[in-house]
Amino acid sequence: MISTTSIPGARFVDPKVLARIGNLELVARSVVDGFINGLHRTSVFGASVDFAEHRGYVAGDDIRRVDWRLYARTDRYYIKEYEADSNANFSVLIDVSKSMGFGSRGVSKLDYAKMLAACLTYLVHRQRDRVGLIAFDSDIVDHVPPSAKHMETVLHVLDRLKPSRPGNLKAPLHKMAEHFGRRGLLVVISDLYEEPDAILEAISPLRFRGSEVIVFHVLDEAELEFNFDEASSFEDLESGEQIPVVPEGLREEYRRMIQAHVAAIAERCSGGRIDYRMLNTSAPLDHALFSYLSMREKLMKAR
Amino acid sequence: MGLLTPLFLVALAGLAVPVIIHMIQREKKNVVEFPSLMFLRRIPYQSVRRRHIRNWPLLLLRLAALALIVAAFARPFLRTASITAAASGGAKEVVILIDRSYSIGYGDRWARAVALARDRVSELGASDRASIVFFDSGAEVALRSASDKGRLTSAISAGKVSAAATKFGPALKLAGSILSESALTNREVLLISDFQRAGWLGAEGVRLPDGAAMIPASVATDQVSNVSVAPAVLLRSTFNDRERITVTSGAINRSTSPASVDLTLEVDGRAIQTRTLKLEAGGSGSASFDPFSPASRFTRGTVRAGDDRLARDNAYHFVVSPRDRVKVVIAGGARESSLYMARALALGETPSFDVVQQGADADPTGASVVILNDLAVSPAAAERLATFVENGGGLFLALGPRASWPGASDILPAQLGQPIDRTRGTAGRLGVLEYGHSIFESFRAPRSGDFSSARVYTYRAVTPHTDAQVLARFDDGAPALLERRTGRGKVILWTTALDVGWNDLALKPVFLPFIHRVAANLASYTERPSSMTVGDVLPASSPAFAEATAGKADDVVVLSPAGERVPMADRSGGVVELREQGFYEVRSGERDPAPLTVASNVDLKESDMTPVDPQEVTAGATGKAGGSAASGANATYTNEERERTQRVWWYLLFAGMLLLAAETVLSNKLGKVRV
Repeated sequence: MISTTSIPGARFVDPKVLARIGNLELVARSVVDGFINGLHRTSVFGASVDFAEHRGYVAGDDIRRVDWRLYARTDRYYIKEYEADSNANFSVLIDVSKSMGFGSRGVSKLDYAKMLAACLTYLVHRQRDRVGLIAFDSDIVDHVPPSAKHMETVLHVLDRLKPSRPGNLKAPLHKMAEHFGRRGLLVVISDLYEEPDAILEAISPLRFRGSEVIVFHVLDEAELEFNFDEASSFEDLESGEQIPVVPEGLREEYRRMIQAHVAAIAERCSGGRIDYRMLNTSAPLDHALFSYLSMREKLMKAR
Repeated sequence: MGLLTPLFLVALAGLAVPVIIHMIQREKKNVVEFPSLMFLRRIPYQSVRRRHIRNWPLLLLRLAALALIVAAFARPFLRTASITAAASGGAKEVVILIDRSYSIGYGDRWARAVALARDRVSELGASDRASIVFFDSGAEVALRSASDKGRLTSAISAGKVSAAATKFGPALKLAGSILSESALTNREVLLISDFQRAGWLGAEGVRLPDGAAMIPASVATDQVSNVSVAPAVLLRSTFNDRERITVTSGAINRSTSPASVDLTLEVDGRAIQTRTLKLEAGGSGSASFDPFSPASRFTRGTVRAGDDRLARDNAYHFVVSPRDRVKVVIAGGARESSLYMARALALGETPSFDVVQQGADADPTGASVVILNDLAVSPAAAERLATFVENGGGLFLALGPRASWPGASDILPAQLGQPIDRTRGTAGRLGVLEYGHSIFESFRAPRSGDFSSARVYTYRAVTPHTDAQVLARFDDGAPALLERRTGRGKVILWTTALDVGWNDLALKPVFLPFIHRVAANLASYTERPSSMTVGDVLPASSPAFAEATAGKADDVVVLSPAGERVPMADRSGGVVELREQGFYEVRSGERDPAPLTVASNVDLKESDMTPVDPQEVTAGATGKAGGSAASGANATYTNEERERTQRVWWYLLFAGMLLLAAETVLSNKLGKVRV
């Protein structure tokens, strides 16, 4: 728990959320590259209690690691190797395009996303993982490289993020994919206003270096239910385009389309081994995050 | 059904506005920001049912409200008379003004005027009310705001042609007053007259209440033939110590053809002479009759001419009396010292003075004026003179070195003092004159008499009484002429002499008129007019009246030319208004052998029957250029008149506003429901 009030972004770390998810862990399903002992499996052997294998002694090996019992039986020098537990790079990729600024009930999608990012960052930081942040719209807006010391920086950056430009997934995510050299955990938070195939095309490269990608699809209730009453001109927040709309006449069709859109993204992500979760900003964050993390934990244990 | 301003109907095109708003503009009213129109764009445009009108009652309500308002601006009216009455909002207040000036007695004008008034009364609705007003130079309400047609008709029938001239102003003011007091909103003035130009002097400040309609109904005829007698001029002369009167009169031909008129002079009812006049069309002529001697006071004379259809201006009445002579007693001093005064008074014509010179013992018996010229008055004489003044006599005192007055009788305007010598240095002059007084009034104008040219060498110092009025002062402020009223008479004090011993005023031109004015003033003499005009008043306080009724104020009887008693208020403030043409008599008691007689003649302006345009009168009274005109019995409403009286627009506008209010309530109730 961050107790300081000097960090502006600390307000996004909701105690209520943390109280709910504080006993959960966000552990990478795949191996990650780390420097210190942690919760995640790493690609290298290290010092842990989990025995991995024996190998022949070569000059230079630490003689403390020689398995003397085996030498007694075989009269050869073998070195005992163990599985290493590592910490992971954790980066939040947050969409700050203008559409994220929409909110029908006071809390905008971006605020919700910031809260989500802050809580997750705090959670993994407590796991001694390195935390980072990348904000993007049609380009990369801000970048905090992953580091165990960047918790406060991430919160600062989260605090000053504002929706200002139209968004685009493909260009900034591809740029980021080239940037991530080390495998880690990437969380994409966006409203994903693109075609499902385009979304998958934009996100997939993030996985190419072995990182695990979790996509949080943040939508406002008004976007899902389209519960407008007055016949009005609807203005696209990003393009400024206006069209006259009588909501009553097209509500059902809209709902059908948005549900199909969400389903299509979920299907594409599932096929691409990407964790996908749609979050409704009208639902409390703690509930949403708790259900996701607990489900993820169950899946990990099952595996 | 008609429309006063049909062009406003173009605004009905505005009815399309709410439809357009409903079908096109309404959706654009609110702009909702939405994250992405990605899905909305995919929905076909036609599927949006925004062109459908869902709330027909609301739309129809709005359209009906707009249509009613537009119709109200077009100012519709109903054409038929019965519907007009029904739609005009019920009861109407009508004021029927009937001209009764003597010119309406010409031919059948009066009969037609009465018929018009009756017709209007018969057209009244059950809830309408009407007032009958007869007017000439004044206006008289015969019946005020009544709905009983029988009473109204009776009031009309009771009207008679008067001898007065026409004046529209008072009648229209009275009509405006009646209408403004009425609670009924529909108001109308029907003006029935022969519309003589002489009766209309412009608007005269007359303005009928707003919304009141004025309908002029003229009974004038195009061709008129009228000859009127001009006022007579009386010229006095003396022949063989008998006074003779020469009457000069004339006739005016106001027709378009020449006329030959016999001008007849009647004295005391007997025709004594006739002159024949040849008059051109629109011309006039005059003739002098042979002189006659009036047999007694108040000899009645009449000049008559012709017998045309307007009889009242065919006669001119006058009253003539032998000239009144004022008896003046001059007492005191040497005859020479009164020479200038006696000579001056002997020259008088209006009035003539009978001068009697007496010694020191002034006897006022039979005199109107007593002049004390530098006389030391004994107490007995002073007492007599005081009584004389109390009874209405006039006393004039000229002060010389001997003049004195006993203190017991306090009737003088001032206490007498010592002589003041102005022989050394600059002589005294009359500096301040009270030109408002009747003595000096005729000297007010420039070059009408220069009193300052007279030099005064000596005068008596006086101390004015509090009741006295100083009429003239010397240049040093000392009083020169003082007046004091005592009882019914008055006393005038001249503080210097009347001869040339103390001043040279007697040698100046102003001396004679000054003495005449003083004597006439003391005798309360006023020249009696030979005739008056109908409409004039004879005040009971006038000298002639007072003379005729002196001592018998309670028994005064005034008889009109028709022989009827004329009521009058209390004698002090009462007046007798001359309403008829002829001779009025003011009798002191039933058997007064020589009653005061006053001749009353019609105003000759009325005999000029040139008509004025009735619309001019209407415009002046209503303040609007276009008024309703009615000719004879064919009184009709104009479209403007109908529209103004019906006021259909008001109901339409009110209904429109009601619908708008209902629309507001309904749309608020429907809330988010759109049309």
